[in-house]
Amino acid sequence: MGDFSGADLISDLPQSIIESILTRLPIRDAIRMSILSSKWRYKWTTLTQLVFDEKCVTLTNDGAAVLKSLLNFITRVLFLHQGPIHKFQVWTSYLQSCPDIDQWILFLSRNDIKELALELGEGEWFRVPSCLYKCKKLTRLELFRCELEPPLTFKGFVSLKSLNLHQVLVAPDVIENIICSCPLLESLSLSYFDSLALNIRAPNLKYLYLEGEFKDIWLEDTPLLVDMSVAMYMTDDIAEHFEQSSSCNFVKCLGGVPQLERLSGHIYFSKYLSIGNDPGILPLTYNHLKTIELNQVSFEDMKEILVVLYLITSSPNLVELQISGSSNTPAATDVPDLEFWEKKGPSDCLFKRLKVVKITDMSGVTHEMGFMKFLLGSSPVLEVMSITPCVYVLEAQLNILIELVRFRRASSQAEIVFCSD
Amino acid sequence: MQWHSQMSEGNMEVVKPEMKSYIWLQTTDGSIQQVEEEVAMFCPMICHEILQTGMGSSKSYAISLPQRVNPAILGLILDYCRFHQTPGRSNKERKTFDEKFIRMDTKRLCELTSAADSLQLKPLVDLTSRALARIIEGKTPEEIRETFHLPDDLTEEEKLEPLRNITDDPRIRLLNRLYARKRKELKERQKLKNVEVEEEHVDDRSVDDLLSYINGGDGDTKGTRAKNKKKNRRRKDQNKDSSSNHSNGNHNKELDPLPHAGQNGDLSEVFVGCPSKNSTSQDSAAVTFSPKLEFIDGDIDDDLDPAMKEELDREVEDFARRLNSDWPERMQEILSLGQERRPVPVSINGNGSASRYTMSM
Repeated sequence: MGDFSGADLISDLPQSIIESILTRLPIRDAIRMSILSSKWRYKWTTLTQLVFDEKCVTLTNDGAAVLKSLLNFITRVLFLHQGPIHKFQVWTSYLQSCPDIDQWILFLSRNDIKELALELGEGEWFRVPSCLYKCKKLTRLELFRCELEPPLTFKGFVSLKSLNLHQVLVAPDVIENIICSCPLLESLSLSYFDSLALNIRAPNLKYLYLEGEFKDIWLEDTPLLVDMSVAMYMTDDIAEHFEQSSSCNFVKCLGGVPQLERLSGHIYFSKYLSIGNDPGILPLTYNHLKTIELNQVSFEDMKEILVVLYLITSSPNLVELQISGSSNTPAATDVPDLEFWEKKGPSDCLFKRLKVVKITDMSGVTHEMGFMKFLLGSSPVLEVMSITPCVYVLEAQLNILIELVRFRRASSQAEIVFCSD
Repeated sequence: MQWHSQMSEGNMEVVKPEMKSYIWLQTTDGSIQQVEEEVAMFCPMICHEILQTGMGSSKSYAISLPQRVNPAILGLILDYCRFHQTPGRSNKERKTFDEKFIRMDTKRLCELTSAADSLQLKPLVDLTSRALARIIEGKTPEEIRETFHLPDDLTEEEKLEPLRNITDDPRIRLLNRLYARKRKELKERQKLKNVEVEEEHVDDRSVDDLLSYINGGDGDTKGTRAKNKKKNRRRKDQNKDSSSNHSNGNHNKELDPLPHAGQNGDLSEVFVGCPSKNSTSQDSAAVTFSPKLEFIDGDIDDDLDPAMKEELDREVEDFARRLNSDWPERMQEILSLGQERRPVPVSINGNGSASRYTMSM
């Protein structure tokens, strides 16, 4: 076809639309548009969002060559670029620590960078240059495999709203300082830190994601927290620390989050919460907490069970509950207290909004059954309870079922779905 | 409704909430339509107009819409607004509607984007931008130009710069250079015939310099290449014969037709000088390139001297044969020479779409 008598459909659209289109293309395609016509030659150069990954260059088996061409590509793009750059993201495992990255950051710091995301591949970690700390307009920072060592004069990122550090080497007090010197911080994600005792003071924080070996998590000042997800790994160090700890972890961690809507805990989180004094005395209520997910809860540890119970009974608006058992529970040391569940009779509390319950990795131990019985008997609007037994206990499945069938259900609508694969 | 109380200021009629109220809109062609108020208010620009100026309540006070909104497009936009302003729609429903909504020809889509932007209807702008990006992605430059009626008004040289490293296969890249050069020569020849003042990319030279960076050329590449281009033209007219060897890494000799072989190891540079070299090789694989040759031939005016044309064809074919036969060794030699520079050129390219670019040049 060649209806070139037709007017150019697209080149005269406002630059904001052109940018809107170009940013939805892979950067390589966007730059390639420069050969279309004279009007398009430089349209890409004012893009304010530059997102790079390994698709920008030819991939071969030679990682060093790919890295070199990637570095060249990005450097050249920056060199040809005009105007401010608000978002700069390099997300590829081919990226390695090298001086070019320092120069990029320097360039970006002079160009109003707002969002910076750097993911480095396996290899030496990249030591972030001091010019990063001068990026006053930074609103989002994401670093993978980097080293952070801000100068003593660093007063924080005043505009930072989102911070995501993954496998980042930084001194513990430095990380705390960074967090509390970013007054607008709303989203914080820290993963794969070693033995970190974290004290978070972030008055605007709404989303918290923690994963790694944490000795302590103290949410000292996070009144607006809405969504929280914690995965705590264990080492001997930490185990020891747990044993010696005397503070009430539950309160330290969940004592100051009244707006919490979603809580998700993994691995040793419930164990962590169970350490310390009995929080039963404190009248904490989570009026907004709608979803609770606790994984690897050990139902042979009374303290952990108490934590779970305390949590769910303090959440009157709970809608969805997910619990997964721990398949490597130590052998029960004491005879389980069979009376326990009778004491917490249904008259004590009703889960008036609980609709969905998912229990996975069930081994069929006494307290697990007790817990299920309790839930079934106290949830008048329950719609679905799905149960997935642990794969290691095939024989016990029948027993679980037999008991399950006897439990009284407060909700006539309740469906029990037993998933056995 | 909140709107009503605000609207009752100014010269508007007070409307009871239960009655459907309408807003009057006028497009640039003069035609006026009335639209349900809640639908019209979905557009920030219209909403703003109503609140600021109080217009739109009657036919004689219809709101004038921006020039980019013609009646047909307005109809589409109002359909969009009507659907989305209805409360209670699930996200899935909205998505399905959107996907169906944007199925239209490209011209309309562009008009819609433009109109939505002038009405400040951001969700629709995002939707249409996404659709346009999807149309563009993966297409060759030729295809994109066709789709959007873009004039092909860059000089060969300007076009070469970015494309040089777009293709995967260095062979294709070389061929691009060859074709481009050939076309340029033909153009130049025609110009000589017409005794036209040759347009010079003098003004654009700096632009080319800049762009060459993105393609892996070195700072001085451009200079030498440009010089060599001129030399080569002369040489061609003199029926040059080359003694050069692809593996020769001389890059500073002006007369050397293959100055760039070692310069940056970028093979696309290698053949700047002379497309035809030693017809040392044979090979069947030349056949693969012939369809492309035909394509190029289609462009050539027949008032070309047939002998010249034949010579060019021969050069191209020889060249193609060379590429196919001793390719691996050539690569090695050149790459090893280019070690000090950058052995791997920067490429902006798509996967598996290498073959398309031969056509596009």
